[in-house]
Amino acid sequence: MIPISYNVRSLAVRKATTVATALGIGLVVFVLASALMLAHGVQKTMGKSGQPENAIVMRKGSDSEMQSTIEDPLVGIILSASGVAQDASGKPVGTAEVVSVATMDKFGTDGVSNVQFRGVRDDVMSFRPEVSIIEGRMLSPGTDEVIVGKQVRGRFRGLDIGQSVDLRKNRPVRVVGVFAANGSSFESEVWGDLDTIRAGFGRMGNVSSVRVRLESPSKLDGFEAAVEQDKQLGLEVLREDVYYEKQSEGTSVFITAMGMVIAVFFSIGAMIGAMITMYAAVAGRTREIGTLRALGFSRFAILASFLLEASLLAVVGGVVGSLAALAMGAVKFSMMNFTSFSEITFSFTPTPEIVIGSVVFAILMGLLGGLFPAVRAARVSPVQAMRAG
Amino acid sequence: MNLGVLASRSLVRNRARTVLTALGVAVAVLTFVLLRTVLVSWTASVDAAVQDRIATRHKVTFVMTLPKHYAQDIGKIPGLGPSTYSNWFGAKDPNDENEFFATIAVDPVSFLEVYDEILVTPEDRKRWLENRRGALVGDMLAKKKGWKVGDVITLTGTIYPGDWQFEIAGLYTATRKSVDRSTLWFHWDYLNDALSDSRKDQIGWISTRVRDPSRAADISKAIDTTFDEMEVPTLTMSERAMNSSFLASFSAILTALDVVSMVILGIMTLILGNTIAMGTRERTGEFGIMRAIGFRPRHIAIIVLAEGLIIAALGGGLGLVIAYPFVEQGLGRWLEENMGGFFPFFDIAPETSAMALGLACVLGLFAAILPARRAARLNAIDAIRRIA
Repeated sequence: MIPISYNVRSLAVRKATTVATALGIGLVVFVLASALMLAHGVQKTMGKSGQPENAIVMRKGSDSEMQSTIEDPLVGIILSASGVAQDASGKPVGTAEVVSVATMDKFGTDGVSNVQFRGVRDDVMSFRPEVSIIEGRMLSPGTDEVIVGKQVRGRFRGLDIGQSVDLRKNRPVRVVGVFAANGSSFESEVWGDLDTIRAGFGRMGNVSSVRVRLESPSKLDGFEAAVEQDKQLGLEVLREDVYYEKQSEGTSVFITAMGMVIAVFFSIGAMIGAMITMYAAVAGRTREIGTLRALGFSRFAILASFLLEASLLAVVGGVVGSLAALAMGAVKFSMMNFTSFSEITFSFTPTPEIVIGSVVFAILMGLLGGLFPAVRAARVSPVQAMRAG
Repeated sequence: MNLGVLASRSLVRNRARTVLTALGVAVAVLTFVLLRTVLVSWTASVDAAVQDRIATRHKVTFVMTLPKHYAQDIGKIPGLGPSTYSNWFGAKDPNDENEFFATIAVDPVSFLEVYDEILVTPEDRKRWLENRRGALVGDMLAKKKGWKVGDVITLTGTIYPGDWQFEIAGLYTATRKSVDRSTLWFHWDYLNDALSDSRKDQIGWISTRVRDPSRAADISKAIDTTFDEMEVPTLTMSERAMNSSFLASFSAILTALDVVSMVILGIMTLILGNTIAMGTRERTGEFGIMRAIGFRPRHIAIIVLAEGLIIAALGGGLGLVIAYPFVEQGLGRWLEENMGGFFPFFDIAPETSAMALGLACVLGLFAAILPARRAARLNAIDAIRRIA
């Protein structure tokens, strides 16, 4: 085999060309990796909101909590169904919540956007231990106080500590605290007392959903059967993490598909770039190739050597592109989630698979772009090559 | 022989490379046109929104409704033309739960008056007005679902639970391309009569025409002030403002597409620059001889710049030639039929083509600047010696 150092030196000699081609590949990788990281960020943000040992009960046919309505008397029936865990005092562990959206003035744009509001009971923190107050204090039950997720805080008019928002006429709700929720989509919500939020959104006497902690994830089937058996109730049970997966599906599929389509188009351009560079490399080194052949290197060794050179070129681009995409981790991306019609803040979340996959994609581009030039190099006849030029 | 001819002759010398580069530029231009067209057609709903129509809804949230008497009360406010009221119904076809199309309950007579961009034949109009459970369906939606006038369909309500039967009473088209032709409109009374007392006589929003579009903002304010005194405060916006605030929630995606469409131009410039640089490097000796026989440095520079321009223009032209059938026939028709709500029409705007071709040419020149300078600065003796 021809040593790699031969290829490395060849690339280093044609610095400008190498950099231009590698950068082209790098840009493609950057776009692809960023899109995949964002799609993963969407899944992760939504995924963290759900736990496998929790089940969520909604009205049958509802796409999201927001659309669902459960009359108050049913809440007790749901909580007492079999499979629901009980706390030390024998009370079922579960929480009935109301969810709605409010239109708010968004800073930094001249428009308005929707923010999700959740009415919770005072024991919400024990049901969701991952939620913690990071500034200010918890709302007091039965008052017009609310707490805001850290992702919406300060991004909308009235959503910061000490400020207030009118839900009902002349009945403002006051922000008293900011909470974090382990990066989940709750961080893009506003939480208030269940009755305050119900009154604000005209939802007296019903809730949006009931969540329960199961004794163990395997009790789901029993619980589901118990709740859904009475068709009159018209209820539907989903594992909480499955529910959130469904919530993020549309958005993450949209981003992934868009990223893939764009990357495929772009990669054609970058492959052509690599092809031009490699053709030039082969043409410029015809005598060298002839010499190598004369020294006894096989056609295959020449082919392999040029393919290797093309992939080296691509790896440089792939690594640069991936690094640039990793830097996107600092950027917050806020967009509407399709099912809830409210804005959620996502971040670009890298995984080893995405980074490795992007570099592999770069190498593929290099190999495909380098294939024809490498074949031409392998076909060089030593005698003619050394006679030429 | 002028310098332009010299430039094109040198491009013909390495035909494979020229063709590849032009192809690269073509792909970039195609992608650029595609991305810009997505952006343009997505934002088209804002630009195409009727100027003189305003919508009034619940102040806090679109989820909540207004009392029906608001639809009469609004008539007392001066400066208003005809108005109509609607409810978002949100039904699904039980056979395909993942498919989305809008279903809206309207007051048929006033609806057709306020939304005069909806085109219905007199027979369909008559049939729809007379049939209480009749539905007026966009021709795109009807084609996709295979619905014909007279068909009875059953939809599952999400906001208003249960099975709802409708009879397809007519199809509509529109006077403008930007109007969504995949909505199902039906009688508000049909919905209202079926509801329990607590949900009865509620409307989602009121659409009103204003006589003088320039006063739309003032009139909106007057409406909101009037209703502030009553049980439910309202939020009134022009249709245009409403569409643009909906788009604002996707602003991050729009920005991302914008950035990405610039990235492809960057890739294109790199390919172009690379090709030009390789071409000039290989011809170092020739440039030396040209200098020796009397060409000035600027002549050399012009030749190299012209190469950049020619190849970019060729590639750009080719890209546009591919883009038109690809975007307008293939992808565009598919998007209009399947995602009509987002992309009511998907055509390449003339400005987009001009911009793509213009940018390709400018970037072709730009990519040639460095190689041109290098070639022009060559000293004749050094250049000739280098190949000797």
